[in-house]
Amino acid sequence: MVFVMQRLVKMTPFLFGIGFIAPLLIQIMALGGFAGPWGLSRAAFGLAFGAGWGLLAVWRGRWL
Amino acid sequence: MSKIDFDIAERIDWTADVAPIAWPGDPEAAARTQLRALRKEELAIARGFYKGASWPYAVISLAGFATWLALFPLTILHLINPLAACLVATLIGIGGFITGHEGMHGNLRWNTSKSAGKSQTRRDLLLNEWVGWISLIPIVIPFTVARATHIAHHTHCNDPVRDPDYCDHAPNSWAALFKTWYNRQPGVQGVQYNYGRVLRAMGTPEAEAAQRHGLLYHLGFLAALSILAWTGHAIAAAMVWWLPRQLALSYIRFTFSWAPHHPRTQAKGRYGNTRVFRSRCGHLLSAGMQYHVIHHLYPNIMIHKNKAAFYALRPVLEARGVDCSALPQRD
Repeated sequence: MVFVMQRLVKMTPFLFGIGFIAPLLIQIMALGGFAGPWGLSRAAFGLAFGAGWGLLAVWRGRWL
Repeated sequence: MSKIDFDIAERIDWTADVAPIAWPGDPEAAARTQLRALRKEELAIARGFYKGASWPYAVISLAGFATWLALFPLTILHLINPLAACLVATLIGIGGFITGHEGMHGNLRWNTSKSAGKSQTRRDLLLNEWVGWISLIPIVIPFTVARATHIAHHTHCNDPVRDPDYCDHAPNSWAALFKTWYNRQPGVQGVQYNYGRVLRAMGTPEAEAAQRHGLLYHLGFLAALSILAWTGHAIAAAMVWWLPRQLALSYIRFTFSWAPHHPRTQAKGRYGNTRVFRSRCGHLLSAGMQYHVIHHLYPNIMIHKNKAAFYALRPVLEARGVDCSALPQRD
């Protein structure tokens, strides 16, 4: 149980990426009337961006 | 004959009319007598600041929490500008830390004629707990975590290992500001890491409960933000909770932790573990942290009385070797 929780906590930047950054980006893009780049939908781009940034934060240990 | 502690003797105001000087007897005994007299004088002055109404803290915390909750529908329904909501929520987060902090020290009382620091009734305990829990929700810190780690900070102030707030140390204000952000990064051994480490080292049932609460808050905050965001309210969640929390935490770490303890290499004694400084931002914006020495000496004096207590205690503090020169002689 402790191991599972530790892994979960370690992965929270990724979860934050898909749970919060992705929908935030999608809604900001919708508010500004921006379409997703490279023919992607806003949702696909938001999820890719959020998941990617989150994984990078897990790997690097920093958001920036 | 034992060695005279000239260091102590030099710091004593020998002209002060506080106690008969045991001179020409043993000089060390005379120094001790003077120190005892100083201590008595200090306690007598400090006790005068213990009593007072603490209900405004409870009212402010409740009103702040209610306002913060109301900001969500107000922002979602576009009844308030998101930037204004962010500003208000940030102020509530900072204010919540101040009211919660009084709860951490058990300073809140139902019966205002009773001094803080004296034995508490069950109702007093519940009041402190309630105010503590609701005050700290906007900045997502469980009251149990805040209380246990804050008491550890008081007990082991400026100890690189045992003071959980030591990680805020920085050589200057710009570096300190950077560190408020850096210490929240997921892979950095910052505030969260040190709070967990200190709680594990405590090993008490209260510390274990605090660790569980910390984990629940961490995951609960993530879940709440995700639910709000994926139901179409990401901007409201960002402007009322996520961003204000980041701003409030940075302000709290900088103003309440770095500024009054800089450079953290000071003596660990009760008179030397804080610094008296003049703030460029004024009394209100620096939350009265110039007088933080009073809080570390007498945590049961509520924060709004620290300034008055400082000026009343200043002669005693100076006699004890506290450098008060940064502030004017009188307010």
